[in-house]
Amino acid sequence: MKLILNEEKCTGCKICELICSATHRGVFNPEKAHIKITFNDIRTASEKQLKACTLCLVCMKNCPAEAISFNGKWLMVDSELCTGCGQCVDICPEGVIHMDNNEKAAVPDFCQGNPSCIEWCPHQALSKAESAA
Amino acid sequence: MSYQWEILRVNLSSGKAMREPLNRAWAEKYFGGRGLGAKYLYEELKGGVDPLSPYNKIILATGPLSGTIVPCSGKLAVISKSPATGAIVDSSIGGTFASQLKFAGYDLLIIEGRAKKPVYVNIKDDAVEIHSAGHLWGKGIGETERALHEKHGANTAVLSIGPAGENLVPFSCAGSENRQAGRGGIGSIMGSKNLKAITCSGSKDVTVPDMLRFLELIKRLMHEDVLSNTNQWVYLTGTPMIVDMSNAAGILPTRNYQDGMFEGARNINAERIQNLRPEKRACFTCALGCGNYLRFKGGGVEGPEYETLALAGSGCGIDNLEAIARFNAECDELGMDTISLGNVISFAMEMTEKGIKDFGLRFGDVATYLKMPHLVAFKEGIGQELSLGVRQLSQRYGGEEFAMQVKGLELPGYDPRGSWGMGLAYATASRGGCHMSAWPVADEAFGKVNPFTIEGKAQMVITGQHYNAIKFSLILCDFWALSLDTMSQIMSCVLNRDVPVSELEVAGERIWNMLRLFNVREGFKITDDSLPERIFKDALKSGTPAGRVLPREQFDTMLQEYYQLRGWDREGIPTPEKLAQLNV
Repeated sequence: MKLILNEEKCTGCKICELICSATHRGVFNPEKAHIKITFNDIRTASEKQLKACTLCLVCMKNCPAEAISFNGKWLMVDSELCTGCGQCVDICPEGVIHMDNNEKAAVPDFCQGNPSCIEWCPHQALSKAESAA
Repeated sequence: MSYQWEILRVNLSSGKAMREPLNRAWAEKYFGGRGLGAKYLYEELKGGVDPLSPYNKIILATGPLSGTIVPCSGKLAVISKSPATGAIVDSSIGGTFASQLKFAGYDLLIIEGRAKKPVYVNIKDDAVEIHSAGHLWGKGIGETERALHEKHGANTAVLSIGPAGENLVPFSCAGSENRQAGRGGIGSIMGSKNLKAITCSGSKDVTVPDMLRFLELIKRLMHEDVLSNTNQWVYLTGTPMIVDMSNAAGILPTRNYQDGMFEGARNINAERIQNLRPEKRACFTCALGCGNYLRFKGGGVEGPEYETLALAGSGCGIDNLEAIARFNAECDELGMDTISLGNVISFAMEMTEKGIKDFGLRFGDVATYLKMPHLVAFKEGIGQELSLGVRQLSQRYGGEEFAMQVKGLELPGYDPRGSWGMGLAYATASRGGCHMSAWPVADEAFGKVNPFTIEGKAQMVITGQHYNAIKFSLILCDFWALSLDTMSQIMSCVLNRDVPVSELEVAGERIWNMLRLFNVREGFKITDDSLPERIFKDALKSGTPAGRVLPREQFDTMLQEYYQLRGWDREGIPTPEKLAQLNV
């Protein structure tokens, strides 16, 4: 699965980032979101880009504890195995993996298939596509 | 919870930054934004302080909703004492600055003193640094912002001033992300402190007491309220929609308020702007998105908004949309309020055409008009004089009867001769000629209430002033037309206690009295609660309000009724009983 941004529809309001951190972490904090909208120039909100999990699986392949797995749709972390080393955070090309409050990896899981960012986007700028890794 | 319970105080004279706890008692009574900022400013300034001296302060205020997912809660209130009016000014600005300040861990930022040399303040969570801004001085707002993004990262919010602020133009503004804290000369106050910019980024949490309950409420409001038909105009057209409305109602300022209908209105209306297919932009956490980003050869501008189209368009007799867009872009970059500069130019045009004083400016003369932003911002040539603003210009050269200002602040785009309640709103607004305190024009000229009577208008203005006072304190954007009941639901959830509508109403009245107390201390009198002579004497010419003035006796009656309903004395001073009742 992956997220798709319709640049034309996106106004840059960042509600997606807020609902992501609220849903997954119970707080409002874009730094803890698994989605980011970036601009070439924030002043004009031009060239919007979506940063979200592309299922490149680089994190999984590089996890020294083999704590990250892929269920065919999204990533999962075995918190028993996760040592909190933070390698996945550093290596994620999209910058959307963070450490959670217990110092374990928090990986994007597309809200288990029903991303709240899609549901909350006021301009229907986000959608999902099923895709194999 | 909801608040960060901390304020950051930066003293530019000593170069010290200090964190201190937010005054909880004040936060309970004034919430945030306009109200809390006014309370802090009132308590921290002595009366009579020179607005451009180191003793003035600038307060940047977020509110309990900033940083949350509440729609349209991305605004920052900037509160200070205005050099244009000598009154309190609160000017709000969208973008991401307010949320970044909250994520950095602060509810309020207070700037005091004066740096010896140009500086900017960089805030990154707990780390606060004052850097030299020598290399940025003289640069435009966009240029400054890009340079600081490059240095501190693209997610860093930048609030900065342009040359107009540096040169202490009394209607200079501060800008961020193509938006402005436009009114009252915020730019010059920053300039007087040698403060070029403030940059801010944060990584802390903003929390609410019960996230699930909160999200449930906001999701419901999003669908039932925010994204309902009532608010759709914000996204579909934005404020340019008002051009046609004002013109149809005969209250579109035309050639310095000599007329209320503009023959070129159809060339500068929402339809024309939408035909240019602007890109839509929203502030942080705004589900609506009023911004129209227009590109033109060699540049672009977020806008022009209605006020610019009115004051710098029809007001100057100009119906060339591209010229207005370019004028707008230049004002944004140089850091000037388009409402005030539009008024200044149209005043100078009338002075010239009437032969009172030749400024070399004529209605509809695009070429000369486009030279003005630069000349005024740098105080070059006639810009030196125009930079005085309408009131001072008229005091020096005459034309006071058509100097369209109240308390020194130039009027926005709704002619009160065709909306009598709006006249009272202008006359009594704490920051002078201001459309952000109450907007009775919605019910009068644009609604079903008779605009040409004073009956019921005092109460209408009071209700509007209280509503906006609380709304801009929470802090929510003007463009979400939500009810007090909806505000009450949100605040009850955010503060985890019952916050009834009645409490919000009382708080609105308390905030309004606070603003009034500030101005009373500065020596403002009943004679300052007035309107330009033209409104009382020169009849409008076109459409429904043709032949109308707002008769002075009627205005005076309305003003006395307003004072009485407010529990103020006949001179407009809040009585001790009223202040005690409100627990100001």
